[in-house]
Amino acid sequence: MTVKVQIIMVVVLIAALALLLNMVRKRTLELKYILVWIMSGIILLLFVIFPQLMDHVARFFGIYSPVNMVFFLGFVLSVAIIFSLTVALSRLTARVRMLAQMIALEEDAKKETGTKE
Amino acid sequence: MKKLAIIPAYNEEESILQTINDIRENAPEFDFVVVNDRSGDRTLEMCRKDGVKVLNLPINLGIGGAVQTGYLYAYRNGYDVAVQFDGDGQHDAKYLNIMADTLEREQLDMVIGSRFLESGGFKSYALRRFGINFFGVLLKVLFGTRITDATSGMRMCNRRVMELFIKDYPADYPEPETAARLLRHKFRVKEIPVVMRERAGGESSISPGRAVYYMIKVTLAILIERLR
Repeated sequence: MTVKVQIIMVVVLIAALALLLNMVRKRTLELKYILVWIMSGIILLLFVIFPQLMDHVARFFGIYSPVNMVFFLGFVLSVAIIFSLTVALSRLTARVRMLAQMIALEEDAKKETGTKE
Repeated sequence: MKKLAIIPAYNEEESILQTINDIRENAPEFDFVVVNDRSGDRTLEMCRKDGVKVLNLPINLGIGGAVQTGYLYAYRNGYDVAVQFDGDGQHDAKYLNIMADTLEREQLDMVIGSRFLESGGFKSYALRRFGINFFGVLLKVLFGTRITDATSGMRMCNRRVMELFIKDYPADYPEPETAARLLRHKFRVKEIPVVMRERAGGESSISPGRAVYYMIKVTLAILIERLR
């Protein structure tokens, strides 16, 4: 890994992390869902700053260059995050459905008692 | 026996009152409730003006969520029998009593109105019939029971089934999948012959473009049901 790519990656990662933290600070993002992003950012940062950490991992997987290992790791982490979002979305859909149904039933129940009085 | 007809409605202003009057005339022992799935047209107004009971969903949930709302209502209000009855004029209320009798007499959990046990009436289009047949074969192979019209929306059930449907009901294209679920639970499901009409108004939830998605999704859902 050349120093140039190291510097570019460090700058991009730190900028991204700063942006994320700032958005959590301003409460536009929920920390719960940002935690995985922050963790991935830190992991990538560590491997970029200390590429020797990566060397034997890369060699183990038969990947020639540690920088490819960083890209691969980034890809795997992204997929993990996207998947966790799909899980959250499914749960949210179920909850929204239940809420809508409860509203419809409550509204009806209120009307029923209204007409009886 | 308290009996309820659940009428899921999404933009059915052309046919909803006709459907309701059909039930009033031909199945007077059935109470009915319209589940308005956030229609953009005058479905809600027309029902309210006519004094029809409406469960008004604040957001569009799709057919599965709407029907499930009806089952929730039926279960909570102590109905012994609930039947799904489409608001688009395809279903004929004169069959409701026959279905209820069959359900009670033969101690069944669900009765499905099938278009294919008797000749006559509207039987959908060739390609759709092929799809329906495919699901029939799939259910027969996986669960050992022949269902000739797994996509039929005209289905009547008892409280046991309501309980199951309240817990979990597919969001879209629920009919074949829920049939599979009942068969997996060894519930007693039987079909009786009905004659259906072509829809009087509104639009099918299965547009030609969605047919491929429909076939894949429903097939997968049935296979997953087998693995549960």
